[in-house]
Amino acid sequence: MDDFFVGGLSSQETESKAIKSEYDIIIIGAGPGGLTAAIYAGRSRLDTAVIEKLAPGGQIAVSDRVDNYPGFPDGISGEELTKRMEKQAKKFGAEFISDEVRSVSESKTENYFFVETASHGTIKAKSVIIATGADPVKLPVPEEEKFRGRGISYCATCDAAFFKNKVVAVVGGGDTAIADAIYLTKFAKEVIVVHRRDQLRAVKALQEEAFSNPKIKFQWDSVSVHVLGDNKVEGLEVENVKTKERTVLKVDGIFVAIGTVPNSGFVRGLVETTDRGFVVTDKNRQTSKPGIFAVGDVRDTPLRQVVTAAGDGAIAEFSAEQYIKSKERGV
Amino acid sequence: MEKLLKENDEKYIKDLFEKRLTDPVELVLFLESENGEKVNKFSAQYLPYTEEILKELVALSDKVKLTVYKDNPEKEKEYGVTHISALFVEGKNTDKNVIYYGIPSGHEFSSLLEDIIDVSNGKTELSTQTKLELQKITSPTEILVFVTPTCPYCPRAVRTAHQMAMENHNIKGIMIEANEFPEWSKKYNVYAVPKVVINDKEQFEGALPEDEYLKHVIKGAVNIILE
Repeated sequence: MDDFFVGGLSSQETESKAIKSEYDIIIIGAGPGGLTAAIYAGRSRLDTAVIEKLAPGGQIAVSDRVDNYPGFPDGISGEELTKRMEKQAKKFGAEFISDEVRSVSESKTENYFFVETASHGTIKAKSVIIATGADPVKLPVPEEEKFRGRGISYCATCDAAFFKNKVVAVVGGGDTAIADAIYLTKFAKEVIVVHRRDQLRAVKALQEEAFSNPKIKFQWDSVSVHVLGDNKVEGLEVENVKTKERTVLKVDGIFVAIGTVPNSGFVRGLVETTDRGFVVTDKNRQTSKPGIFAVGDVRDTPLRQVVTAAGDGAIAEFSAEQYIKSKERGV
Repeated sequence: MEKLLKENDEKYIKDLFEKRLTDPVELVLFLESENGEKVNKFSAQYLPYTEEILKELVALSDKVKLTVYKDNPEKEKEYGVTHISALFVEGKNTDKNVIYYGIPSGHEFSSLLEDIIDVSNGKTELSTQTKLELQKITSPTEILVFVTPTCPYCPRAVRTAHQMAMENHNIKGIMIEANEFPEWSKKYNVYAVPKVVINDKEQFEGALPEDEYLKHVIKGAVNIILE
C-alpha cells in the first residue's frame, strides 16, 4: 500500500474568521513566494491576508521531489514543503482567503489599494504583493483543446495513474520535464522525452538520473506538430527541426512541460510587465507602481525556483513594510 | 492492521475537532464482501483500509460516529448506493448527498475533515452570491468529481461540490477515486483530474474558481427556475 496521507492535513487550520474589509498587506497567491512573504509579514505583526484561487502550494506542490531546497538533504515533496510553509504562515497570524483576484486598483484619494475578488467583494490593502506565479504553456498544436484532459496533461503527479503500463511522451527538456519523465516511469512502461534541441536544459543531476533509466527514451531535435486520435490521444506527430522529417510516436498520453506563462493579466496596465507578461521590479521587488510588489515566478527574473521565490518573498515583505511606514509618516 | 494515522496527525485532528465541531456528525460507510455486486477488483483492495481509517478518525471525537453497513442491499437502496465503498457524511445540513466513492486518502483526507467540520456546524463557506444562485436548482442534480489521491488541485473541486450539496439537497456531491473505479472513469473518458461531470451533460477539467464552477453546475442542472 502506498502512503495514504501524502498531503498531510487540511488548510483550514485556524478558526474560520470573518474576512475583514481592510488589511495592511494582501498577498495574492500562496506558492513559496507568497507564503514566505506571509511568514515575514506575520512576524512583523502586520495584518496580513493571503488570497489563493486554487490550493496553497503553487506549482511546486505537484513536484514529487524537491532536491535543491536547502536543509532537506534527502529531498522533500513539493507538497510537504509548501504545507510546512503554509503552517508556518498561519502560526504567525496570516489569514487565508480562498478566492480569485480579478483586479487591483489604486485609491485616488487615500493610500490604499483595492483588491477586487470574485466571491468576497473588494478588500482594501495598504500594500499588495503579487505572488500569482505562472501556468504551464499549452502544447502548441491545433488539437490541444480537443485532447486536453483526454491524454494531454500538465500535471504528472495528478494524472500518471491513468497511464499504467502505457507509453507516454513528455514534451520539454527542462527540470520539470525531466523530473516528470522520471516520475512517470513508476507507472508507464515507456516514456519518450520529446525535446527541440539535441541536449537537455535540465540540471545535470536530473539528466544523469534520466539517462540511466532504461524506461526513458529520447526524441531529440523534435517539435510537436499534431496530436492524433479519435476520442483520446493515440499518437504524437513530431517534426525534426533539422531534417523536417515527420514521425508519429504511438503514445497514450502526452505530458507537457515547455515553460510557463505568468499570471499577470489582472494587473496589466497597472504595473509594468515584459513582452511576455512578467512583472518588472526593482531590487526591492517593487513594481513600477509604488506599494505594489512582485515575487516568484510571475516576476521578471533569471531563475524560477522555490528558493528564489522564497528570497523574493522576504525582500518584498521587508520593502512593503518600509513602504507602509513611510506612508504613515506621511512621506 | 497497522495504524494508518500517524501520531502527530491524530493529535492535530483531535485538537481540530475539539475546537471546530459543534453538532454530531455520522459517517455512514457501505462495504460488501469481495464478491459483492457493487465492488470491483480494484476497489476491493481498499475496503479494509477505508474502514480502518474511518475507525481511527471517529475515535478522535465523541461528536463523530461511524455506522458500517456490510452486504446490506436494503440500506444501499435507501441511500442510493451505486458502487462500493461508499461513504456518506450525515448531519444537520446533509441528506444522503455528500458522498465519497472510494477511499478518501492522500489529498482527499483533507476534504473529509473539512466536510465533517462544515456538517457539524451546519454551514459552508460558499459566497452569498453562490448560495442564492444554488437555490435556483429545483430538481435532482448530480455533480461527479473524479480525483486521484495525489492530485493537489482535486480537494477544492470535491469540496465545492460537497458544499453545494450541503446548501441545496437537490444536489448530490460525489467524489470518485478514479484508481478504484476504472470502468466508471472510462465511461467519462477521465484521463486527467479533477474532472467534474454534472448530470452527464455538462463537464469540465481542472479546478475552477467558485463562480465559474457554479456556472457549469447551473448549466448542467436539469430544471432551473427562469428569472
